[in-house]
Amino acid sequence: MSANLAGDVTMRYVDLRPQASGGGVPVLLLHGFGTDFSMNWRAAGWAQALEAAGLRVIGPDLRGHGTSDKPADSASYLPEHFVADLLAMLDELGVDKVDVVGYSMGSRLAWELALTAPERVGRVVLGGFGPKNAFAGADLSDPGSGDAPFDLVYRTVAALPGNDAAALAACARGQASRPFDADPPLTGIPLLLVSGAGDTLAEGAAELAERCGGTHVEVPGRDHANAVSSRLFRQAVLDFLAD
Amino acid sequence: MAQENFTFTLPDLGEGLVEATVLEWQVAVGDVVERNAPLVEVETTKSAVVIPSPKAGRVVELHAEEEQVVPVGDPLVTFEVEAAADAPQAGIVGRVPAEEARPARRVRLRPPSD
Repeated sequence: MSANLAGDVTMRYVDLRPQASGGGVPVLLLHGFGTDFSMNWRAAGWAQALEAAGLRVIGPDLRGHGTSDKPADSASYLPEHFVADLLAMLDELGVDKVDVVGYSMGSRLAWELALTAPERVGRVVLGGFGPKNAFAGADLSDPGSGDAPFDLVYRTVAALPGNDAAALAACARGQASRPFDADPPLTGIPLLLVSGAGDTLAEGAAELAERCGGTHVEVPGRDHANAVSSRLFRQAVLDFLAD
Repeated sequence: MAQENFTFTLPDLGEGLVEATVLEWQVAVGDVVERNAPLVEVETTKSAVVIPSPKAGRVVELHAEEEQVVPVGDPLVTFEVEAAADAPQAGIVGRVPAEEARPARRVRLRPPSD
């Protein structure tokens, strides 16, 4: 299925409806930088787990990623453009409200979506995410050239088949031009943060959760790359969504 | 019905990957698992993946411990499964597509890139 949105960037997505609906609101899954729905969520067991719980899953490939269009200018990757893509998709689907689960960059966008359109968002899960600057120490004119945490991430994903390194670099610059700000905090929306105990990009997650009146769950023995597939993470989210 | 053992080897995870590290088993010896149920969580240099069970059956042996590196093609798990009475006994070693029945996206084919 595909969404041809107003504007010149097409975002493609999947809409997976369970055979037996549990009556919950649909779950919007937002993948991380340099991956896509299939790799970040489906391969990591999420589509199946949510389907088994009777939940409808809406899984976009964010602009610049996967099967979606990949503009090469950084201005196309300002957070508000991602949010506009998502709202246009929900409008097209006729979905009034979703629970949002993000990972890494997808968490940052989940936060932005919830701030921008709180009436469209029931619950928010931020995976692999903390309030610190994810791009700290990286030279974004030449991403991947250094040894900052983001450089390592960039080098890993830029080499993946199907990825467009120039588009990903533009995406990083667009995101970095609007640094995450925990102020205003996300309040009034149930919030869960989940991160690997060794995830350096998620430092401060517990404090961010506390600040917003939310909960933080730490996954022992996991880092930024491998927390997403952990059973503990999935179960924490299923419990939170069913709460 | 007759039982037989079936050993599932680490499948080719694509992208030229030759091995994966077992992160966490989702099943234990003695468990009865459904086809496509989560079997094992592995990590490659590219990503972390939950591999679904290719068969319904009872787990009789896990061939790798957590944190162990397993080469593609090496045994992962042995199941005791119902012998397929009507299937030919030769030529059933092919891999089972894990997600063929799912309403998956159909736009995986990439358009010509510029």
